[in-house]
Amino acid sequence: MTPKTETTPATTAVEPEHHSSALRDSLLLGGRAIREALRTPDSLLPTMFIPLFFLVVNVGQAARIFPSEATPFLEGQSYGAFQLPASLLLSASFGGAALYLVEEIEGGYFDKLRATPISRMAMILGRLYAEFVKTIAVATVMVLLSVLVFGIHIESGILGFVVLVTMVAIWAMVFSGFMQLISLKTRSAAATQGASMIFFPLLFLTPNFVPRNQLTRPMEIAATINPVTYIMEAARSLILEGFEGETLAKGFAVIGVTMVLMLGLSVRMVNNYD
Amino acid sequence: MSAITAVGLKKTFRGKDGDVDAVRGVNLDVAPGEIFGFLGPNGAGKSTTVRMLTTLMTLSAGQAHVGGVDVAADPHGARRKIGVALQEAGLDPRQTAREILVLQARLFGMSMASAVVRAQELLELVDLVDAADRRVKGFSGGMKRRLDLASALVHRPEVLFLDEPTSGLDPASRITVWDEVRRINELGTTVFLTTQYLEEADQLCNRLAIIDGGLIVREGTPTALKQELRTRKSMKTDPTLDEVFLDATGRTREMGAGEVKEV
Repeated sequence: MTPKTETTPATTAVEPEHHSSALRDSLLLGGRAIREALRTPDSLLPTMFIPLFFLVVNVGQAARIFPSEATPFLEGQSYGAFQLPASLLLSASFGGAALYLVEEIEGGYFDKLRATPISRMAMILGRLYAEFVKTIAVATVMVLLSVLVFGIHIESGILGFVVLVTMVAIWAMVFSGFMQLISLKTRSAAATQGASMIFFPLLFLTPNFVPRNQLTRPMEIAATINPVTYIMEAARSLILEGFEGETLAKGFAVIGVTMVLMLGLSVRMVNNYD
Repeated sequence: MSAITAVGLKKTFRGKDGDVDAVRGVNLDVAPGEIFGFLGPNGAGKSTTVRMLTTLMTLSAGQAHVGGVDVAADPHGARRKIGVALQEAGLDPRQTAREILVLQARLFGMSMASAVVRAQELLELVDLVDAADRRVKGFSGGMKRRLDLASALVHRPEVLFLDEPTSGLDPASRITVWDEVRRINELGTTVFLTTQYLEEADQLCNRLAIIDGGLIVREGTPTALKQELRTRKSMKTDPTLDEVFLDATGRTREMGAGEVKEV
């Protein structure tokens, strides 16, 4: 190898031009994670096509049971409009950020980041920010396809559409945040993948086929306990009814509380990571 | 001021079968500008010591300063003083070499423009200009090591920690990494190097310490350590560093069936 000469002595430490902040560091790491997602479409596409597959199959199986003109809870729309929130929440529940994180832990890049003077929180938030951006894109495409294919219209209008997609994307951050906690705790891809199966009870112990008051009593109790129910009902209200203050407040309250819990546990976990 | 000091450094891991003392009271004093070798058999406590000195692991007891900064009291300050290349070349396989260096520079507070310039300097330093815009996934082991080394240098650290930097490399790549380490050291960076290759330590290090069972059992220049063994054992010729190592760690060598065995 030809010897090279550095222009500056190695020990003249670089003075930081920007001070480390959780926001700046999160955006830097988030940008990298978004680039990573664009380069691995094979991991991004299932988050759209699997939920769309379920949407098509569920509507195909149940649409004749629930004709719009004879089903009051559809508010005059097709059954696809009722099913769409479940598919959107499914797309937000893949926890992709956690799988990338555990890969970094196993590969040593996470330690490389830990040896830099960045905010510890940014190591969590960077990937969650990317998850937010990815879910905004995926959910937007899903809603637009649903409008075109199933003739769904968003009763709450353009603003409601924005609120709907944003709510789903914030939930994706919360869910992925909890999955990241599993990654940090176990440092194992197998354990993280296994833990992501929690989305089954979270998504299916909900009023995903009929409203809560039409479920059997045990299912109604389970759905009432399940926090995802309130996010699903809030999303559904935006599609079928418009801006329903109380329903939306409950949905966002669940997201807010779980977000605070996830961030609190994440701070503790990353600060004690040894 | 010393580049690295450690006093009574200890690390205890709590496990299901009780506590394990991985490091049991290590004292170190590395002068600025040295290449300091840290040797030891597998499980001796080398990597654990490095992880404590580089803020990646908490200290169970003792104190450590790097570049005059207390690693436990001011880990962020310590991180600005050190560069770290660990056993696993910690790189993101989906990014290009340039992207990794630019990101690393920005995480150390550089503007985009400065980071781009610094990345180019480092790509030239480690001879990766031609591969700069290729994704790391397709890099050879040697290229990954050199990129890892470059990423540890983005902020011109005072102290560079290299944990088994040539492990798994072919002889040619190993010599290339040695050249890099020498050049980095000539520019004034203190190098703390762990290795299992005694030839590597003999070639590169001004001074070294041998750790075994979580304690330092020998420390000095390679020449002094060999001389001490020769005198103590009344040997007729200078021993090799291998013999110093085996003596220090209580292991012996048996020649059998054409191979060397440690017992």
